[in-house]
Amino acid sequence: MNEELDSQLSAMFDDELPAAECELLARRLSRDAALQARWGRYAAIGAAVRGGNMRLGGIVAQRVSVTLATEPTLSEARATEVPAQGRALPRWWRPIAGAAVAASVAALSILWLQQNSVSNAAPLVARNMPASQTAIETPASYVVPHTAEPRALRMPATELANYVVAHSQFSTPVSRGSLLSALMANESSATGAAEQSPDAAGNSEHHADNPP
Amino acid sequence: MSADVSDLSLVRRVQSGDKGAFDALVLKYQHKVTKLVMRYVRNPAEAEDIAQEAFIKAYRALPQFRGDSAFYTWLYRIAINTAKNVVVSRDRSPVDYDLDTQNSDESYDLQSKMTDAETPEGLLLTDEIRSTVNAAMAALPEDLRTAIVLRELDGLSYEEIAASMDCPVGTVRSRIFRAREAIDRRLREIFEGGLGRAEELG
Repeated sequence: MNEELDSQLSAMFDDELPAAECELLARRLSRDAALQARWGRYAAIGAAVRGGNMRLGGIVAQRVSVTLATEPTLSEARATEVPAQGRALPRWWRPIAGAAVAASVAALSILWLQQNSVSNAAPLVARNMPASQTAIETPASYVVPHTAEPRALRMPATELANYVVAHSQFSTPVSRGSLLSALMANESSATGAAEQSPDAAGNSEHHADNPP
Repeated sequence: MSADVSDLSLVRRVQSGDKGAFDALVLKYQHKVTKLVMRYVRNPAEAEDIAQEAFIKAYRALPQFRGDSAFYTWLYRIAINTAKNVVVSRDRSPVDYDLDTQNSDESYDLQSKMTDAETPEGLLLTDEIRSTVNAAMAALPEDLRTAIVLRELDGLSYEEIAASMDCPVGTVRSRIFRAREAIDRRLREIFEGGLGRAEELG
C-alpha cells in the first residue's frame, strides 16, 4: 500500500488532515475495503491503548453494516420523499409562490369581509337587543336597499349606526347623541338627492327611535 | 486545523447516499460508543446491542444533521439517550423469568442468556488484540511511543504534541503514523491470520 496514502489515513483518523484532502480520502475510504480494514484497526489500537472491557473485534460495525444493507441509502430515501413534499419546484419559485398565496388569502379575506358586512349588519343589532324587541324590529328594515349607488359608499354609515346602537349602554349619552345625529345627517344627505324608498325611510326612523 | 473535518466529509458522503462512508464512521467510533454505553449497562453484550441501535438511529437521523455540532458529540448524545431509554424500559418492565434455584435447568438457561453473547472467540480475540498492542507499544522507539500515547491516551492535537515534544507538527504526524504502522503490522496478522497468531509473533 502507498505509504503517503496511509500517512494521510492516519492524519485523517486524528482529524488532522486538510479539508480538501479529507474529501478525496473519504471518497476512497468509503469504497476501498483494505483501507477501511486499516482504518478499523487504527480504531482498535486506540481502544486498546485507552483500555476498557469492551470487545475489540469490531462486532458492532459488522452488525450495523448488515442491518443497514437492507435499508435504502439516504439519497434514495430522500428521493422518495420529494414528490410528497412538492420539492420538485425550483428554489427561486418558492418566495414567489409564497407571495402569491399571501396575496390570494388577502384578496379572499377582503371579499369575505365585504360579503359578511352586509349580511351581518342586522344581526349585529338583533343579537344585542332584548328578545321582545328583536321579535318586532328585525324585519327587512335593516337590510340595505339595493340601489344603483355603490355599496361601499353607504355601508359604513349604516354599519356604524348599528354598532353605536348596539353598544349604546357603553357610551355616554352626549357623545352617542352627537354621533347618531351626525350619522343621520350624513345618511340623509347621501340619499337626499333621490327620493327615499319606504324601506330606507323606515331604516332611518328606526335608528332615530332606538332607545339609548 | 478545524476539528471534525474528516468526520464531516464522511457524513456528507453518507448524506449523499454513500453507505460505505457510514461504515467508516462506525468503525471509528464503535469502541468509544460501546465504552460510553457501558457506563449505563455493565453487560458488554448488552452494551454492544445498544451501541448498534444507536448507530442505526444515527444513520436514520443523519439527514437532519447539519454539522452545527461535531459529529461525535451528536452521536454520543444519541447513544446516551438510547442507553437511558433501555435502562428505563428495563426497570419498568416486569421480570421475564424467575430465578428458581430449585430448578437447575432454568438456572443454567439464565446463566447462558447472560453470557452467551460474550463468545469465547470474541473474548479471546479481544485479549489477543490487547496483548499484541501492548507488546508492539513496548517495542516502539521512545519518540514514537510518546507521540501515540499523547494522541490516543491524552487526546492531544498534533499541535499540542508538537509543543510538548518540541518538534514540528509534520514530525508529529510522521511519528504517529509510523507508530500505528508498527502496531498495525502485528495486528494485521491476528485479523487476517486468525486467532493464536499473537503468541507466534511473540
